[in-house]
Amino acid sequence: MKFRYAMVCSSNQNRSMEAHSLLKKQGFDVSSYGTGAHVKLPGPSLREPNVYDFGTPYKHMFEDLRRKDPELYKRNGILPMLKRNSSVKLAPQRWQENAADGSFDVVFAFEEKVFDMVVEDLHSRDHALMKTVLVINLEVKDNHEEAAIGARLTLDLCQEIEAAESWEDSIDDIIATFEKQQRRKLLYSISFY
Amino acid sequence: MMTMNPRENLASLINSAKSASDIPSKLEPLRQLKRGLIQQHDLALVSESLSLLSDRFGPVRKFVTEMIGEIGLKHFEFLPEIVPVLITVLSDATPAVARQAITCGIELFRSILEKVAIQGLYSSELDSSLKSSWSWVLTLKEKIYSVAFQTGSGGTRLLALKFVEAVILLYTPDPNGSSEPPPHDGKFAKFNISWLRGGHPILNVGDLSIEASQRLGLLLDQLRFPTVKSLSNSMIVVLINSLSTIAKQRPAFYGRILPVLLGLDPSSSVVNGMRVSAAKHALKNAFLTCLKCTHSGAAPWRDRLIGALRDMEGGGLTNQAIPEVCKINGSLGEGKEDSPVIKEEKPTIKSCDVLDVNLGSKRAGVPDSSDLAEDENVPGKRVRPTPIASEELTRESEKNNTMSQDDVSSIGPTTSRGDGDNGPVQQLVAMFGALVAQGEKAVGSLEILISSISADLLAEVVMANMRHLPPNHLKGEGGEESLLNMTIVGSDSKAKYPPSFVADVLSLSSTFPPIASLLNAHWSESNDIVKPCDEKEDVVAEADSVLACDGLDHGSENALLPTDLPASSVVSSGMEKGCFPISSDIHDVGDLESEIPGLDSSAHTDGLSETLVTSSMASTDLEEASQEQVTSLGQSTLKLLPSMSTDKSEELSPKAAVTDVSSLVSSTATSVGLSSNFVLPKMSAPVVYLDDEQKDYLQKMAFIRIVEAYRQVAVAGGSQVRFSLLAYLGVEFPSELDPWKLLQKHILEDYMGHEGHELTLHVLYRLYGEQAEDRDFFSSTTAASEYENFLLTVAETLRDSFPPSDKSLSRLLDEAPDLPKSVLKLLEDMCSPGNCDKAEELQSGDRVTQGLSAVWRLIMLRPSIRDACLKVALQSAVHHLEEVRMKAIRLVANKLYPISSIAKQIEDFAKETLLSVISGDATERTDAEGSVTEMQKDSYLEKPVDEHPSVSVNSKDISSDTHQSSTCQSVSSLSVSEVQRCMSLYFALCTKKHSLFRQIFIIYKSTSKTVKQAVHRQIPILVRTMGSSSDLLEIISDPPSGSKNLLMQVLHTLTDGTIPSSELLFTIRKLYDSKLKDIEILIPVLPFLPKDEVKLIFPNVVNLPLDKFQAALARLLQGSSHSGPVLTPAEVLIAIHGIDPDKDEIPLKKVTDACNACFEQRQIFTQQVLAKVLNQLVEQIPLPLLFMRTVLQAIGAFPALVEFIMEILSRLVSKEIWKYPKLWVGFLKCALLTKPQSFGVLLKLPPAQLESALTRTAALKAPLIAHASQPNIRSSLPRSVLVVLGLAPESQTSNPAQTGVAPDSQNSSQVQTSQAQTSQAQTGDTGNSDKEVVTEKSKESSGAS
Repeated sequence: MKFRYAMVCSSNQNRSMEAHSLLKKQGFDVSSYGTGAHVKLPGPSLREPNVYDFGTPYKHMFEDLRRKDPELYKRNGILPMLKRNSSVKLAPQRWQENAADGSFDVVFAFEEKVFDMVVEDLHSRDHALMKTVLVINLEVKDNHEEAAIGARLTLDLCQEIEAAESWEDSIDDIIATFEKQQRRKLLYSISFY
Repeated sequence: MMTMNPRENLASLINSAKSASDIPSKLEPLRQLKRGLIQQHDLALVSESLSLLSDRFGPVRKFVTEMIGEIGLKHFEFLPEIVPVLITVLSDATPAVARQAITCGIELFRSILEKVAIQGLYSSELDSSLKSSWSWVLTLKEKIYSVAFQTGSGGTRLLALKFVEAVILLYTPDPNGSSEPPPHDGKFAKFNISWLRGGHPILNVGDLSIEASQRLGLLLDQLRFPTVKSLSNSMIVVLINSLSTIAKQRPAFYGRILPVLLGLDPSSSVVNGMRVSAAKHALKNAFLTCLKCTHSGAAPWRDRLIGALRDMEGGGLTNQAIPEVCKINGSLGEGKEDSPVIKEEKPTIKSCDVLDVNLGSKRAGVPDSSDLAEDENVPGKRVRPTPIASEELTRESEKNNTMSQDDVSSIGPTTSRGDGDNGPVQQLVAMFGALVAQGEKAVGSLEILISSISADLLAEVVMANMRHLPPNHLKGEGGEESLLNMTIVGSDSKAKYPPSFVADVLSLSSTFPPIASLLNAHWSESNDIVKPCDEKEDVVAEADSVLACDGLDHGSENALLPTDLPASSVVSSGMEKGCFPISSDIHDVGDLESEIPGLDSSAHTDGLSETLVTSSMASTDLEEASQEQVTSLGQSTLKLLPSMSTDKSEELSPKAAVTDVSSLVSSTATSVGLSSNFVLPKMSAPVVYLDDEQKDYLQKMAFIRIVEAYRQVAVAGGSQVRFSLLAYLGVEFPSELDPWKLLQKHILEDYMGHEGHELTLHVLYRLYGEQAEDRDFFSSTTAASEYENFLLTVAETLRDSFPPSDKSLSRLLDEAPDLPKSVLKLLEDMCSPGNCDKAEELQSGDRVTQGLSAVWRLIMLRPSIRDACLKVALQSAVHHLEEVRMKAIRLVANKLYPISSIAKQIEDFAKETLLSVISGDATERTDAEGSVTEMQKDSYLEKPVDEHPSVSVNSKDISSDTHQSSTCQSVSSLSVSEVQRCMSLYFALCTKKHSLFRQIFIIYKSTSKTVKQAVHRQIPILVRTMGSSSDLLEIISDPPSGSKNLLMQVLHTLTDGTIPSSELLFTIRKLYDSKLKDIEILIPVLPFLPKDEVKLIFPNVVNLPLDKFQAALARLLQGSSHSGPVLTPAEVLIAIHGIDPDKDEIPLKKVTDACNACFEQRQIFTQQVLAKVLNQLVEQIPLPLLFMRTVLQAIGAFPALVEFIMEILSRLVSKEIWKYPKLWVGFLKCALLTKPQSFGVLLKLPPAQLESALTRTAALKAPLIAHASQPNIRSSLPRSVLVVLGLAPESQTSNPAQTGVAPDSQNSSQVQTSQAQTSQAQTGDTGNSDKEVVTEKSKESSGAS
């Protein structure tokens, strides 16, 4: 595994963690992030999400929600998700604050908005390393089922990228092949660290 | 190792790196080497390590490249050694290695350039090593340039392009950076070429700029047609990104870069036959980046950028905001081409802010503020109205604030430009100015002027005047509430006018009631127009009106967010403008716009204060007034907004007015401040800060007010708007206010009167949309549960509160966007009422019908949930209550089963339950016992009919029995009803598809007695419905083994009361002939068979068990209604006598039984019949075996026949009956029985036979002699007879005439003697009574057999 990967969604809970978990199992060097201002989880009503700060351990959220309404959160899959997440890493991390984590070779975003933010954020950083980074957007709906599908697709794509000698030369082909096979549109951009 | 000197140590590291065989073991010494070499200043070692560049592993070469790059940075004097190496590496076969060389190149170049520049700043001469280094990095630069602009080598080229970008940025001055050079040797954050100011020994700023410009040109050329065609997609992305970076950081290049970017048609970037959206996306981001640039050089490009973005977006979000911006530009531009000020200033505010605020999600530029926007959407419930307040301390909001302030300030200079315009509008403005300057005496002329110009023009004038209002007069807290600051073009000084004048001017609007009414009409109209527009707009418009009507949110937002105001107002003004042009009456629009902001607000203030007064007195008025208030406030706010955008500070005042008014409205504070007519621009706005509870209360009150205003709204025709509004508010409100409950209560109070259906659907669609939008995980999840709750609550209440015949529930379910599981469960409960509610029992029948018809509609209308609904119907079809079950079965069989797409499922289900009867027969019994109570209740409905024999001629009664009450209730009825529960559906299906019936035949054998009973109970109804269809005939023609009883019943049913078709007869015949050689199956059709055939098979009929024979006999004699009896009774008896037990292999006993059976039916087998039969039989040769037996029976049955019998006997004498020994016995018995009538016959016997007879039947002798002794008889008798009787002397017996006979008769008498001895032993016991003869019969027949 020659590249470092980052999985990014908005809250670093569902989509990015699903992919993180899967890639980690496959032995990839992978991290995950969220681009939102806060970590948001469904709450008792439409407009009352449970809001946490990035850095709050998944375990803590798990305990918190279990205390609040174990039935509800078990039913909508939040508790199982948090449990899974806590087995992957300690706490959700924010993309915009990840400079210390070093440079990534490939970044996956799972939503166009997130993709834009990642690209923009990379754009606004100092390009000191002059190291290319591939940013790919794979649109994945924010629910458990789609997240699982998205993670598998991500894994496929990562394996393709790994297999290429130099993605800089073959990315168009990789993307085109993937789009043809999966009938999904991808967006990508190339930025620099 | 430790003892080695560092140099040796490093040398050994080089060697070990060289000699290692795999990558990790090479890299490890290299890492140590790198650390060492950077510290050591040793060129020789460096040169030696360069040899590692020929290593065969790419990663090793890459690492070495990186290493020498870092060494070069540290020790630039080594560059003459290092750079040539790097240049070689540039063409390394491994792209990653070559890229590393470029990366090093950028660092080196930047570093040396900075060194050179700084050193040159403070001295006129550079040291030589630096000079040589500089020339080397320049060489390297050229090499990398050539990589960047040569075709091919994609991956490496990306980085080379980045290098070009870096050089361009280094070579050009940074407008944002400090142009003052840092102090000598001082630290600096970012190098800026503008530090150089000529006189530098090497670097010439001009030359550098020229080179940068050339390189930029080359970059741009790459994106020009046709070069762009040959570029890979990734190349295009990088180029676009680079160029946008350059444009952003060096706005001076806007003019060169943007035309190329704008001219770049993303669709032309077709790579490998596929259109790649990546380039398009990058381009879009680039445009957005450029749009955000605040540099003055960027300003002229905004329009084109917006246009390009709009083209690109198609249906995207940006699209919605942009056209409005443009429209505003357009409409304003029309009147005065010569006012570039407005033209220019609008886009600057709007494009940025509209994009920022409205398109939070699409904004790439400012991640921080977009977060903020997100937070705004998201309901931290206090957060929504005052996002800044809650987020004030966060870094993001601070940034955002400064951002927007920047925006505003950058506009500042442009605003002041272009004052000296001379269009018609400006002239009018000047005219107004002149008139106003004259003070009060000009009021009249002013009025005339205002009334004479068109409303459009007036609006233009007002708009034009707006920008002359002093920008900062609001900032000062003024006590001058009664005086208004108005600056009018033409008078440079600010003139102060008495309030009375202003009031007059303001009241102008109220002198145009038609306009006001138009406005009212227009408001509702525009609202209608808004709706079909994109939802987003709808939302905003509604939100605005909501804000306006409770006012508070808007107000507080105003107070707290001064810098954000332009944005929000532009949004709404954009909204309005965007929508109005759709309406046909543009003139009205003009009117609307021509309103001076303050006018309306003051006018409505009046209205409001009135309202307040009245509301305090009578709460009933409040309701009506509130509606008015809602609309009027909505108008006023919306109307105010468009004009505000021109000047940021000005708009505050009318807003403040609104705040004032509404805060008064809501908090019902004193209306003192409102007593004056014109609360226009300047006044101290009493901002009332409310705590959360009060806000909640206000929100709730507002909501309730809208809810309760249904009557007025309905009259005014705004129901649709109200529905949308309520639905939207419900979604937006924090959930602890529980808007749904309020709404539900309202809906359910009077479902019809409150247009409950429509409102419910609005809410449902709203929630469903929220859910389907799937913005993120939690909002869709929560919306889903809200949706479910709402729908379920309404549905349940509809069910409980309306009669079953009401169609509301069904309609709701038909039209709701989605039916979650719980609703299906509700239906299921209706269709299959549980055992819990006994009280409901009475009603359940109708409820079931209601539920089932709803299910049926859903199955027809909603294919997606067809399966689930079908399941509900099917469950109901196996319900334990027969009433329920029958309803459901009717639906399933009649309505659903014909639908081909689900027929199979229905069939499978029915079959499964049918089969469960077999497998679960044992267990179901226990189940049934488990719920004994309900079953016992059932038993009143389900009349058990088990006592009926399964196959009987009575079977037709079964169906009619079903509803008889019965006392004889067998124990097994429980499971019979259970069995029926499982089978009814299948039977019903059988009537629709006859071939299914075979399954019943197949399982029949293995079913329990109970099941068989249940089946037999159903058969008559079923088969009668089916008729003898071809499918059924096919089943009959090949019945599965073990199903005979069932088959019999089917046949009985088929032939019962009707004439079987010839096909049926044929089928049965064939079955009888080929497979099932059982005469029983023919019994049902016996009456319909031809006589010949019947005669042929008759022996077999006789062979049946007696009861069945009797049944068959009845059928035969009865015959069919139209053709009459198949056999007459006589024919039957003759046929019986025609049976030869030996030949036909039928026991004689069966034959005699058959005879007996016939004689039992005397009303059929009458004496005439018997006479006829005997007459015929006596003629048969040989005589039938049972003939004499029948004769005896006939006499027993009909003594009157005796004369007739004598006739027969005489004929028998003439037929020499004595030659049939068995019959002879019978003859004698008969003679004995019928004495004295038989004496005549006896005397006709030849003497030998007479003697034998008398010998055998001694009892005859005396009476016969006595009879013969009578003279008249005696005289008629021949002598030989007399001799036998002993009435003549024996002597004459040797008469030759008689001797001729004698041997014969002696022979025969000898034979008969031996027989007579045995029979005498028998007859000796017998008395003379008839009865004894009958008992004798059996012995006799057994003897005969």
